[in-house]
Amino acid sequence: MKTDSLKRLLRLCLFVLAQALVFNRILIFGCATPLLYVYFVITFPRSYPQWGLLLWSFVMGLLIDMFANTPGIACASLTLIALLQPYMLKLFLPRDADEHIAASAKTLGWSQFASLASILTLIYCTVFYTIEAFTFFNWLQWLQSVGGSTVLTMLLILTFETVKK
Amino acid sequence: MENLLTFLSRHFHWLLFLILEAVSVVMIFHYNNYQASVWISSANRVAGQIYSWQSEVERYFSQGRQNELLTQRNIMLEYKLDQLRELLLSQSEADSLATIQMLQRDSAMTEFRLIPAKVVSNSAMSADNLITLNKGSNDGVRPDMGVVCGNGIVGVVYLTSSHYSVVIPALNKRSRISCSIRGKDYFGYLTWTGGDPTKAYVEDMPRHAKFKKGDWVETSGYSSIFPHGVSVGQIEKIFNSKDGLSYRLQVHLSTDFANLRDVCIINDSGMLERMRLKEAATDSLMLVPIKE
Repeated sequence: MKTDSLKRLLRLCLFVLAQALVFNRILIFGCATPLLYVYFVITFPRSYPQWGLLLWSFVMGLLIDMFANTPGIACASLTLIALLQPYMLKLFLPRDADEHIAASAKTLGWSQFASLASILTLIYCTVFYTIEAFTFFNWLQWLQSVGGSTVLTMLLILTFETVKK
Repeated sequence: MENLLTFLSRHFHWLLFLILEAVSVVMIFHYNNYQASVWISSANRVAGQIYSWQSEVERYFSQGRQNELLTQRNIMLEYKLDQLRELLLSQSEADSLATIQMLQRDSAMTEFRLIPAKVVSNSAMSADNLITLNKGSNDGVRPDMGVVCGNGIVGVVYLTSSHYSVVIPALNKRSRISCSIRGKDYFGYLTWTGGDPTKAYVEDMPRHAKFKKGDWVETSGYSSIFPHGVSVGQIEKIFNSKDGLSYRLQVHLSTDFANLRDVCIINDSGMLERMRLKEAATDSLMLVPIKE
């Protein structure tokens, strides 16, 4: 249990640093930025206590906000994803699934995993950009940002899945 | 009782979710609360340190390009100096008043002290861009000081912690910088509407002002944040304003915000005095009703 938490902490730091130093600087066609840290929340196992998942996600959102100067935005949206993740995971699990199963291309199969990840990523991007657009609303820009970022994030997640053993 | 406990333990995560969301919403709406926001922005120690390491590495690779830009700028300034010197010579015999005025303007510049700083984090993409600098209140930086770089204006200091400060650049929809057309003294204010980081708009330029495409826009010196004459950019397109009472100018910014490294913070010792005087004037006007 302890090593599991340590591993998660390490992974959290890596995701936050990667986002702050690399991904936040990527902007393709003036709208799409990869928000890869959603992947961290997607891959929590089924048996993980929900309050734990919520706290992990909140802390991660806080760190992301700290680096990107977007106080509360990533926090609020990532916590929402953490609430939805167990229910979404349940939808895509095979009937005879193991109690400790975690979402990945290997355990769910490529198509199942891709649809689970893309639904959560789409929700995340929508919520994130909607809160961000609160005072500065431009329909086209909003749609482009949500669409572009979702596609880009999904590409990265799937690449990660392929590289991961 | 037992039922209540089991109910609570089963639905504890909902409660936790609501609490965490409430905290997030409070953060979203209270960013303007100064004390709290220093901690959850990149002005805090950890984020600032990590960003400054990153920029150290990046600076190492971009030095060549920076040198090139500085050289270009130097050449341009030398050329201008030459022009001014000629102008002075030709006028000194006929009209010594202009010379005196010019010298006076030079001495006014000594009021300003420049604090050099390095950019440790920067964005030019979102609607609310912010820049973090590696100088804070310990180095004499205070909110509302102007920030410039070798090519032109950058923005205004918004928050300071002891070692870092956050700047609202001209590329922020909240930024309003007073500016005028070089040599003409008609003034308006600079805004940005998102999108292209090389283009901004000057609003409220009066209808009777005379200018043309390619004219330079500079700071007006009225805002008491920037001195007179810091370049902003060149006029690219001229539009009518929505109400038709003034012009709206599209300006190509001279500062490359996507590639910003070395900047200077302007410490204007006269600013405090001027602001106090202005406040006193406003207050006294409100006390005495003006009869029509």
